[in-house]
Formats: sequence, structure tokens, C-alpha cells
Amino acid sequence: MHKKWLAAAAAVATVGMLAACSTPAAETGSDEPVTITYGIWAGTQTPAMQAIADAFEKENPNITVEVQELPWPQYWSTLQTGAAGGTAPDAFWMLAQQIQPYAAGNQLLDITDAVKNAGVDLADYPQAVIDLYDQGDGKLYGLPKDFDTNAVWFNKALFDAAGVDYPAADWTWEDFRETAKKLTNPEAGVWGVAAPIDYQGGYYNTIFQAGGQVISDDGKTAAIDSPEAIEGIKFWTDLQADGSSPTLQQLSDTEAETMFEQGKVAMYWSGAYWALQLYNNTELRPNVDVAPLPTGKKQATVSSGIENVGYVGTKHPDETAKFLMFASGPEAAKIQAESGAVLPAYKGTAQTWMDAMPEFKNLQVFIDAQAYSVPLPVNGNAAAWQGVQGDYLTDAWNGTTSAADAAKAYADAINKVLAEG
Amino acid sequence: MTSNVSSPVGRPRRRTGLGARTDWWALAMIAPALIGLAALYLWPFISTFIKSFMNVPVFGPGKFNGVDNYAKLLGDPGFWQALGNTALYTVLVLLGIPLAIVFAALIQQVSRGKAIYRVLFFLPVVTLPVAVGMVWRFILNGDFGLLNYVLSLVGIPGEYWVADARFTIYAFAVVGIWMGLGVNLIILGAGLQSIPTELYEASSLDGANRVQQFFSITLPLLSPSIFFVTILTTISAFQMFDLVFVMLGSVNNTALGDSKTIVYLFYDAAFVQFKQGFAATIAIVLLIIIMAVTALQFRLQKKWVVYD
Amino acid sequence: MTSRRSAASRGEWRIHVILIIAVALMVVPFVWEILTAFKTNNEVSTLPPTIIPAHPTTAAFETFFASVPFWAQFGVSAISLVLRVVGQVLVAALAGYAFARLRFPGRNVLFVLFLLMLMVPSQLFLLGQFDLMKGLGLLNTLPALAIPGIFSAFGTFLMRQAFMTMPKEYEEAARLDGAGTLRTFWSVMLPMARSMIAALAVLTSLYSWNDLLWPLIVSPAGGNRPLTVGLASMQGQFGTNYPTLMAGALVCTIPLVVVFIALQRQFFAGIASSGLKG
Repeated sequence: MHKKWLAAAAAVATVGMLAACSTPAAETGSDEPVTITYGIWAGTQTPAMQAIADAFEKENPNITVEVQELPWPQYWSTLQTGAAGGTAPDAFWMLAQQIQPYAAGNQLLDITDAVKNAGVDLADYPQAVIDLYDQGDGKLYGLPKDFDTNAVWFNKALFDAAGVDYPAADWTWEDFRETAKKLTNPEAGVWGVAAPIDYQGGYYNTIFQAGGQVISDDGKTAAIDSPEAIEGIKFWTDLQADGSSPTLQQLSDTEAETMFEQGKVAMYWSGAYWALQLYNNTELRPNVDVAPLPTGKKQATVSSGIENVGYVGTKHPDETAKFLMFASGPEAAKIQAESGAVLPAYKGTAQTWMDAMPEFKNLQVFIDAQAYSVPLPVNGNAAAWQGVQGDYLTDAWNGTTSAADAAKAYADAINKVLAEG
Repeated sequence: MTSNVSSPVGRPRRRTGLGARTDWWALAMIAPALIGLAALYLWPFISTFIKSFMNVPVFGPGKFNGVDNYAKLLGDPGFWQALGNTALYTVLVLLGIPLAIVFAALIQQVSRGKAIYRVLFFLPVVTLPVAVGMVWRFILNGDFGLLNYVLSLVGIPGEYWVADARFTIYAFAVVGIWMGLGVNLIILGAGLQSIPTELYEASSLDGANRVQQFFSITLPLLSPSIFFVTILTTISAFQMFDLVFVMLGSVNNTALGDSKTIVYLFYDAAFVQFKQGFAATIAIVLLIIIMAVTALQFRLQKKWVVYD
Repeated sequence: MTSRRSAASRGEWRIHVILIIAVALMVVPFVWEILTAFKTNNEVSTLPPTIIPAHPTTAAFETFFASVPFWAQFGVSAISLVLRVVGQVLVAALAGYAFARLRFPGRNVLFVLFLLMLMVPSQLFLLGQFDLMKGLGLLNTLPALAIPGIFSAFGTFLMRQAFMTMPKEYEEAARLDGAGTLRTFWSVMLPMARSMIAALAVLTSLYSWNDLLWPLIVSPAGGNRPLTVGLASMQGQFGTNYPTLMAGALVCTIPLVVVFIALQRQFFAGIASSGLKG
């Protein structure tokens, strides 16, 4: 009561000056023109997203879609602030590791019925991605937008300069290490590989390749301190130890991807989502190629994908649901694929995506990788326990503690988050 | 104080009546400030204080949890590290004050070019802190930063100043001093101008040289300004946020974990992890620390500040 | 006499040398920022670094303007600055005058409360201010950026000090002419306080233009994002692409630098009369 009074008083005190700037609340019926916002993080995908919004507007003349671009480092804090403050975008991109608190906090639009009524067939999407977002409450909050696996981007010019053969499709950890070492040339300022602390593009892959797991099968405890998982972490700390990679300090001053584009590192582990960025660098383009991840005890890559979800506080739930189905549907998938922005989740669009970047001849490796892909571990509040990785793993990467000790300490931290639910 | 109020003795009675009416005017004139400050400062202060005893989840209402947040904060090594970083940063930035005194005194002595020197020293103050952070992050880059290049010319090996937690606080302090010099210079320069020139003339006649004059006249008479600048610098250094945010927070920097300041910790808790109860606790503890340090400075000033 | 003067100017020559070296160090970052903005991303990573751009290019500026809606964000920064400055000067002058000249119950208690507020770190108010803006439905709007800055205990204190030092004769003359309190304030006292108003205005402009934390919280996205947030966001997008970052930093810095050079007297007066307190 008191708070309300103060708020009202403050409003009165300032209203004269501010009346001109306040935004009127939009009250609209179903056929009247409505505007919905679509929140995405900034990058090479923006033109494709704008094209999808345009295509949707053409089909639905009464709905305007405003694409809201947010920088990646502030995306999640902005989204949370917006959701808590009632100003989140109507539709926005979601990641599997982030969805749990939003779903548990009842912040997402339930589109189960809308999808059913519209006759969308979930079989058109990779089951693995749908499963990643399943909160076990029987509700559907979004539809997969894209799909990603990992591979090794490499710079052919640096291989040629060092006289090293390009990677074979069936290369092993041992081959990889050797290749990285041979490519490293301190005088020229060239390293074989960038080895940052990167879970999705980096050490999760090798943990699975070594036969380990990040989280145990029951999803309740960390498994990152098992001997196999430690092997997977050691893969990276070894690359740091033998100087095949720039140090973490160097990778903080200049990000791994920038180093790869500058021709300072010859190999860079990452997803298909970097393809367009690298393709757009016309100077670099002829030198870029991609190979499958090397094989450890087995072949593996983590896979994930973005989903389009809606905000429960939207003023236009029907229009938002309609847009979500469109943005993840076949026409939008075709737009995405043709732009090269990203590999769409919708079935049968992979070839279109590859054709968008004809000079990259081996993009097929990302699609083939589906055969041995493992879903990204996203148990519990995954963003929370993934967010603290640096606090525990940095010392191992710097070589001041062993991979085993770091993994043990990190496992305890993960268990604490998982126990909180 | 009352001497400044109108209606002194000996006015006609008519004035008293007008005085009674002005009371209402006074309230009307103060009302906007009062309402705004109550709604935007007093109430937030109270609500932050209350929240510091609550567990406030990301979405939904909070629950009281007694002093759990305080216990958790004081038991968190991250907090003590942030406090240590903040204290170190504050002490280092205070070293900029002697620098400002020297330059203020030097500028005072020149007959030409005062204005241009002041403007150039002041430029960093009118530069967006975000831009300052970016420029310095680049200058301090370990591989191709300007600083390491200059150092290499004189044979000193460079370091990863903003990527290695051993150096980050020192790097912030250099930037902090660079940013604050202009302000301190102006305040101290105003203090210098208020020192009567006769004092210098008299002591010159007594045979004192410039250095002696600096210590026997300038410093003591400038001490109130120095004290003022010290208080301001301390308070703002304790609240440092922008530099951490721009130089480390926006990129995947491995030094961030060990380089946080208290206000960065607060921002991270409140608006990244969305633990608002815990964040409120950080803010309250910061208030207590700043009050304690300021009170201490006011006690110590009796020993060195000269008021006439 | 002549010999002493020449001794002084000999000394002055030495002082100039010291000051010029110091000033040169102060402006090195700006020079480096300008030079880098005209280089390519590959050139900045060469060793040893080139000082003068090998092939000067405005590509970084083009990238910046293509990816950051500069004019929109400039407008947001400018409008919120004007709202904040005009609002604060009015509110603070009214209250400052009342505290300095008018009599009302509880005046001293209230004034002490105002002074206490100066001690509290601004972060303490953030959560509550955010809740208030949310309650008023103002998140992501221009007013939300400006409102908290309009109400300042510091501004009230400054204006009170200014009015305290003014001679009472003018007011009394105005009253004898039949002017009421508000009229006396508006047409006699306020014009006399103009130098302090100018000082308060430049200080408020400085905080408003440079503020990052508050806009990051209330207006992180969409059309009402000011330049500071836009620039910080650009860093997220361009990571370590330094030429583009430097071009952006440069472009966003220029407006206030120009204003500062034009109004340096007021800036210095503002700082000197008050010290810096946000």
C-alpha cells in the first residue's frame, strides 16, 4: 500500500515533464493490427531472421514482427530482467541449458495445444533437440529452430606453410595432437589449435569421446570427475601444456575465433554456426576447410540447437504461437538454409544450407556427425553450473593444478547446483 | 542557521503575515524533491534493507530467511576476494592524489597555457567510461598492445595485463588514476587559488625557496581540499564497476573470476544470477564499509587537515 | 626586480617541459584510439605494431554505423540528458531556495536527512528503483532513464549553498514591489544563481551521458538504449575486433568532448564548486 502510494506520488511529480514520452499500452482484438517482438542475439543470423519476420508479415498482414537484436554477453541477463519486469520480447531464442529456470518459474508460453491444433508434426524435427528442451511436465514450450554438431575448422594455408597433411576423416586423438604440434610455429606467431575453456565446442566432446560423461545417467550427480571424463579434460590441458595453443591469457585478450580469422591458429573446434561468419571473411574464405572431430575411444560430438519460445506475459499469445510455428516451420527453415546462417532443424533442409556456401566443400561433416552425436548435458539449472566452469577449470588449463583435482572440485560445485533443483 | 531566515526583528506586523503564507510556499517548493527522493531513494533503501533478509527467487515472491544471506556472504571466499580487490584498487587510486597535487601546483605556477593544460588533463573525464575501458583494454593487450611494445623497446618483457589476474587490479588502478586526475586537478587548483599570495611573498622575503614554500605553506593550506578529494576518491573507488565490466566482463576473460570488485559482485548477483536478496546484502555490506571508512577518514583528518 | 622575473621565467620553462610530458602521456590513449580506428583488423595484430595506419581505411567506421543505430541511441542519450538536467535544476533550485530562505517546520531535520543521502552508494538504490520503474510500467522507456537522476540530494545541497550566499536586499526589494514568493524566486533569485545552475547542469550532463549501470538495467534492449549501452553491447558483438571498437568509442566520445571544449569554464566551475559526486 505504502509502496503504491509512493509510486503514484512519484508519477504525479514527474508526469508533466514526461507525458510526451510515455508509451501507450497496446490493447488489440484479434483482427486489429498487432506488433510482436522477436528477441535474438546479434550476429550473422540477423538478416535471415529479418527475412523470416518479413515472410511471416506477408502471410499475416495484421501482424508486425519487430526483430530485437541483443548482444550475446547481455542476452540472458537482459532476458531475465525483462521477464521479471514484464518487458521480455513476445518470442525469443532459447537455449537448452537456459530453459529450466524459465519453465520452472512459469515464464514461457505453453504452445502444446496451438501446435496440436495447427497439425505440426514433431517428427519433422530431430528428436534429440526436442528431448533437450523437455521439462518432464508434458508441456511444449517451443519448437527447434536449428541444429548443431561440432567439427574442426582448419586453415589450409597454415597447413601448407608447415608442410602438414590435411586431417583425414578417421583421424585419432594422437593424430590430432601431432598435427597441432607440427603446425605450431612460435617465431611466426602461429599455433596449431585454440584450446579455450569451452564446453560445447570443446571439452564436453572429448569427455564423451573418452567414454566419459558430464552428468550421470540419472541426472542427479556430476560425472565429470570419472577417470574417463578426466581423460577428456586432459586432452585440452595437454594441448596447453605442450604449447600447441595460445595460453588462456592470450585467448582472453583475443578470442579464439578472432585468432582463427587472423590466421594465428590453424585449427578451431566449433559448431556449424560459425560457417557463415567464416564464409563472409572473403580474404580467409579460400583457405577454410572443415574436418570431423578426431576419434578417442570412440567418435562423439555434443549436439544442441536453438528453440523459438514465447513469453507467458505476451499480450498476444495467439499471434505469438502462430509466429513461433512459422519461425520453426519449413518456409523459415528454407530462408535460414539459403542464407547459410545456420543448419535448420526442420528435416530435409541440410542440402540447401550446404549449397548456400559452395566454396566450403566439406560441410557434410556436420550432418554426418548426427550419427554419433550426444545430446548436450543440460540437467537442472545448467546455465548456473556451466557458468562457474572457469572458477574451477582455469587452474588446470594454466597447468597449476591437475585435471583430476580441478574436475573433482568442479564436480562438487555441479552437485551443489543440481541438489538445489 | 536561523540568522539566514527572513523576518528579522523590527519588521512591521504585515511581514509576519506574509511569513506565515511563505510556509506553504516552502512546502510546495520542497515537495517535488521530497517526493522524488522518498520514492526513488528512501523507499528503495528500505526495500533493499528488507530484501537483504530474504531469499528472492528469479521469478515469484521472496521468503524471509533471517541472516542467511549475511552468513553466506561472509562465508564466501569470493566476497573476501572482491573486498580485497576493491581495497587494493582504492589504495592504488589514492596514489593519484599526490600526482594531482604536483600537477595542480605546477599549472598554478605557469603564466601561460594554464587553460590548455587543464583541458588536456580533463579530457578523460568527459570520455565515456565504456570507451575508456575499450581503449585501455587494447593498449594493455598482451600480444599486440601498445604498452608491451613500448616496454619491449627498452627490453622489459610484457605481461597479459588485463588477462592475468595478478595484474588486473593494477591495470584498473592505472586507468582509474588516468580518469580521475582531471577532476582532482581542478578541485585542488581551486584550493590553490584561494591561498593568499601575500603568504608566499612574505616567506620569499624570509628567504624560503619554492620547495620549502610548498611544504610550509601550500600543503597545510591545501589540506582541506586534499581531504575533500581523498573522501571523494575513496567513495568512488569503492563503487568501481565500469572498468571491470568493460575490460573483463563483456568477453570470455579468464581473469574475471579473480578480478571482481564489490559492485561488480553486486551487479552479477542482482542482474545476471538474479539472486536479488543476496545482492541486497552485498549492497548493505558495502554501505557499512563505506560509512566505516569515511568515518575513519574524518577521525584521522584531525591529525593532518589544517583549518584556519 | 628584473632579475627575479627572469629567474622565474627560467623556472617556468622547466615546468612547461614537465607538464608537456605529462599531458602527452595523458593523450596517448586518445591518439592510439584514433590511429587504430583507421586500421584493418589484421593490421592491429601485426608485430611490431604499426604506428601510422599502413592503408588508412574507414571500414571500421562503416562497420560501426552499419551495426549500431548510432543516431537513434544518440537521440536517446541526448533526450534523457535534457530531461535529467532540466528536471534536476528545477527540482533542486526550488528545494534549495526553500531550505535557504523560507521557514517551515522540520526544516533542519529534513536537511540533515538530505545530507545523509549523499553518503549512501548509489548501487543501494538500484533494486528498489528498478522495482519502482517496473511498477510504473516504465521499463524500456526514456523516462525510466532520466527520472532517478532528476531527484538529487546533491543538487539540492548545491543550490541551497548558492542561495545562502546571496544578499537578501534584492528579495526584499522585490517583495516591497509586491512580488510573491514564487515570483521573487523565479525572476529575482533564480537568475542570480545562474553560475551555480550552469555548474549543476554540466555536472548532471556528465553523469547522465556517461552512466552505464542504470541504463543497462532499465533499458538494455530495443529502441530506448542509450549510447553507453550500445557501445558496451557492440563489444559483445565484435569481441576483440579492435578497429571497429575504437571507431565506435571515438564516435561516441566526440559529442561530449565538443560540448566540454565549448563550455570548459562552466565544467571547471562545476567541478571546483562541488567536487564530483554521482
